[in-house]
Amino acid sequence: MAAGGTGGGNKTYSFKVVLLGEGCVGKTSLVLRYCENKFNDKHITTLQASFLTKKLNIGGKRVNLAIWDTAGQERFHALGPIYYRDSNGAILVYDITDEDSFQKVKNWVKELRKMLGNEICLCIVGNKVDLEKERHVSVQEAEGYAESVGAKHYHTSAKLNKGIEELFLDLCKRMIETAQADERAKGNGSSQSGTARRGVQIVDDEPQSAATAGGGCCSSG
Amino acid sequence: MAAAVPDGGVKVLQHAMKLANVAIQLVTNNRHKTLSLQRQMMENLIIARARQEALQRKMEKRRLRLQEEANRSFSSSTSLTPEEQEQRLLYGSILEYEQDHDWPKQWKANLKKNPNDLSVVSGLISCIFSCPEHPIMKLLKRLQYRIYNKLYPIVSKVTAPESPSTATCRGRNMKSSQSIHCMQSVQENNKTNSTKLRHSLSVTSLSITEDYNANTCAKEQTQTGQSTKEPKLVVSMGEQDSSFEDLEQFLSQFECPSASLPDLSKPAVDVDPLIHKLEEGVLQAHLRSIVKDIHKSIDRLLSLYILAFEPLNMAASKDQCLASIEEAFFPPIWPLLLALFRKVYGHRELAFEKSMRLYRNAKPGDVGVASKLCPSESASGSCPYESAVQELRLISKDCCPQKKLECIVRTLRLICECAEEYRTSHEPATLHSSAAIGADDLLPILSYVALKSDLPQLVSECAALEEFIHEGYLIGEEGYCLTSMQSAVTYVESLHKRGALK
Repeated sequence: MAAGGTGGGNKTYSFKVVLLGEGCVGKTSLVLRYCENKFNDKHITTLQASFLTKKLNIGGKRVNLAIWDTAGQERFHALGPIYYRDSNGAILVYDITDEDSFQKVKNWVKELRKMLGNEICLCIVGNKVDLEKERHVSVQEAEGYAESVGAKHYHTSAKLNKGIEELFLDLCKRMIETAQADERAKGNGSSQSGTARRGVQIVDDEPQSAATAGGGCCSSG
Repeated sequence: MAAAVPDGGVKVLQHAMKLANVAIQLVTNNRHKTLSLQRQMMENLIIARARQEALQRKMEKRRLRLQEEANRSFSSSTSLTPEEQEQRLLYGSILEYEQDHDWPKQWKANLKKNPNDLSVVSGLISCIFSCPEHPIMKLLKRLQYRIYNKLYPIVSKVTAPESPSTATCRGRNMKSSQSIHCMQSVQENNKTNSTKLRHSLSVTSLSITEDYNANTCAKEQTQTGQSTKEPKLVVSMGEQDSSFEDLEQFLSQFECPSASLPDLSKPAVDVDPLIHKLEEGVLQAHLRSIVKDIHKSIDRLLSLYILAFEPLNMAASKDQCLASIEEAFFPPIWPLLLALFRKVYGHRELAFEKSMRLYRNAKPGDVGVASKLCPSESASGSCPYESAVQELRLISKDCCPQKKLECIVRTLRLICECAEEYRTSHEPATLHSSAAIGADDLLPILSYVALKSDLPQLVSECAALEEFIHEGYLIGEEGYCLTSMQSAVTYVESLHKRGALK
């Protein structure tokens, strides 16, 4: 069969990132901050904050991020797996003033590791650091836990717009590394079309080839 | 006198003989003429035949030459699979077709000139699909027919005309057995959902009381099954084009899927649980193999296209090509395909239906929609999120997965629009985007919209879409919308088990 034609060095990585977290931890504000920060309101897609896309350029590598928000309510928990399958990264958000929301994060970590193994990059995010005084989850506990499960820990404030840019940038870098390691392991398996279904898609460097029909919300150009 | 008489007689005789001669001459002449004519004709025939043979030899030579050319394109592969072999043959016939027809060449040139113009790609493909003689079109029909041939016996087993007695038996049994199957679906959910509900006890106790009913019904079913047999396929396994008309004829029965198909899903459910389980396993295996066949067929068509029209081998045009192929491929087989999905997912559709009935008069708040995203009471008239509900109902109208997917995307967009509208009507001043709708808000609303859609087949439609959504769309907006719809549908299915309205 004809090769995919990924001759050029310019690759575009498409990553899927799921956003997990209990109802009131502020995950929606977090992504909105991230996507609206550089750009104005108009860039919010027609699906508003539930599904966002962002294009990045990290060290010459193009990255298309698709950020999937999930419902935090208990009654939708059972439906989690169909949201996070094929994800390259997960952002697990808890509220530092709410011990319970941190426990929920732990549950998700277990589930994600069980279902997706170590290929998924996990970020555990303590949000609302503007409410430091009311903190109920200790920094050591959270960071210790993150390290023990191979995740990275971040502190953010959607309100003050703190730590969010770093969070996403870091995550993207890690996902690129994972994808590259994956490619190497597969022996540059360009002819394996079957791999496309899992996560990373490497697309020709064409302007609109990877864009979704709705149009990305943000563009770095 | 005597001489005179004979003289006169001779004259007459001579005259008569002359006439006779003329007549004979005429006759022989005619014979000569017809003979020569025949001879000429024979000669002509021989010449014509010789010419024809020469032409055939030439054609054959050309075919061989083209075939060789085709073979060269595959030269890299050492051992050929039967599929590659077929591909090779098909490519040969495409080359042959192109020698006789000019238009493919023009398209080729056009493609080369405008490699980034996707309208050229779709134009080319629709042009080919409107030309029944083109080898790709022939392949398409053959592949469609193969799928149809596999689907028909499975689906028709249930479509077989039923006697009134079975019909009533079914109707009666449906109601009582529903409870069993809903329980069953609870069990199945348990496995995946890891909720700790245990209904096995009630299932067994119920199934004993229902066994009699189910058995008699099953018997009757097998009887009718035998008497009608599987309606013999009118069309032979040979893949002639003409037989395809039968397919169209047959499919016209299914023209209106929402009207005729609901019956199909039900009979699978009214046998006793064990048989039902077995049957379900078999159906699922069928479904898997057919889905696989469809994927293979589409892949074959796509690679043949790319082989025939090289410039198509680019990510964007490939996608466009794929979309066009699917648009042609799915409509004739979709009704049957959906019927099979509905048989497999019948128990889930029943659960959905049950919730739908239970929540017929529910308001958005009853399924957990935040009050700020509900229309204010005063602004009533139409039902909340009416436009999204209407849009979602259109999903059964299309027969192509891609179109259905677009319908779901539009539904979600409309939900966001409506929600935005309702919210600003509550608090007109704040338009701050931090209050934008996230999944926490979206899913309850979507569940409400699904509930109001009156479309139990949504379960099966979504399951089918999941099989046929393009990989490229999987992580994009389309994928997100489909996933959300599936979640909402699953949630709705579980609603009736949650007891009282929240």
